Amino acid sequence: MSLNASVMENAHLQEEDMARYIIDATKEVFSTMMVMEVEDHYPLRDPVTEFHCSVTGMVGLAGSYTGILSVHCPQVLALKITSNMLGMEIDEVGEDVNDALGEIANMLGGHVKQVLSKGGLDLNLSIPTVISGDTYTISAVSEDSVIIPFQYENEKFLVGLNIRKEY
Amino acid sequence: MANVLIVDDSSTMRKIISRSLRQAGLTVDNVYEAGDGIEGLNALGSSQVDLILSDINMPNMDGLEFVKQARAQGCKAPIMMITTEGGEDIIGEAINSGANGSIRKPFTPDQLQEKLGGLL
Repeated sequence: MSLNASVMENAHLQEEDMARYIIDATKEVFSTMMVMEVEDHYPLRDPVTEFHCSVTGMVGLAGSYTGILSVHCPQVLALKITSNMLGMEIDEVGEDVNDALGEIANMLGGHVKQVLSKGGLDLNLSIPTVISGDTYTISAVSEDSVIIPFQYENEKFLVGLNIRKEY
Repeated sequence: MANVLIVDDSSTMRKIISRSLRQAGLTVDNVYEAGDGIEGLNALGSSQVDLILSDINMPNMDGLEFVKQARAQGCKAPIMMITTEGGEDIIGEAINSGANGSIRKPFTPDQLQEKLGGLL
C-alpha cells in the first residue's frame, strides 16, 4: 500500500515527504487546539477498513486530484479530544464529538491541500463527514493510501490519506 | 468593548474562537454565531457588529460569497478569514472580495491577539 506514484511525481514529492507533512500537521493540530502531544509511528503496510467502537472524520479533496483525508479514533479518545477542544467534559459520543472530529479532518485536509495546491484554487475541500458506531467499514483507505498511526497515552488513532490524480 | 460575529459551520470551532478571543485578552462584549454565510448575513442585518471572523469552506454560502455580499450590503466592519485554506490565491480572492486578512487554523490565542489586537 502506497500513495499514487503519479500524484507524488506531479507534486514533486516523495511519499515520505507527504507522510512527514501529515505527521507534522497532525502534531500541530493536536498540540495547538487540544494541548495533546501525540506520538507518531511508522505508516501501516496494510489497509485498515474495519473499525470498532470508533469515530471517523473525513474530508474530501476534489479538483486536480481526488481523495479523502480521514481521521479514525476510538470513541474513548474521541471523547478526550472533544473535551480538550471545548474545555469541558464530554462523556458521550454525539454532536460535539462528531463536529470535533470533522473539524480535525478539515484542518488536516487544509494542510494537505496546501501541499498539493500552492495557490489553493485548483483543489477544493468538501464539508467534513463523520461516521461513528460499534462496527463499520470504510473502503476509502484501501488503495493509493498512506495510513499513519499515532498514539496519545495508551490510545492509538489513525490518519489516512487516499489520493489519485484526475486526468 | 466590541461585538464580534463568528461565521463557521463547526460549532466546536465557534466555541474555540470565542474562548480564544477572551484568552487573548481582547475586549469582547457580545459574540454572535452563524453556521454559514446566509446566517452570517442575517446576523449582520439584526446586530451591530464591530469585527467579523469567518471560515471559507462552509455549506449553503461559503466565506468568499459571504464577504462579497456583506460588503455589497454596506458592511464596514473588518472581516478576518479564519480558515484551513492557506493558499495564496484563495486568500487573495478573499481579500479582493473585501476581507481584511486571514488567520490560519490551527491558531493560538497569542496569534489571535497579534492579528486582531489592532482591530478591537
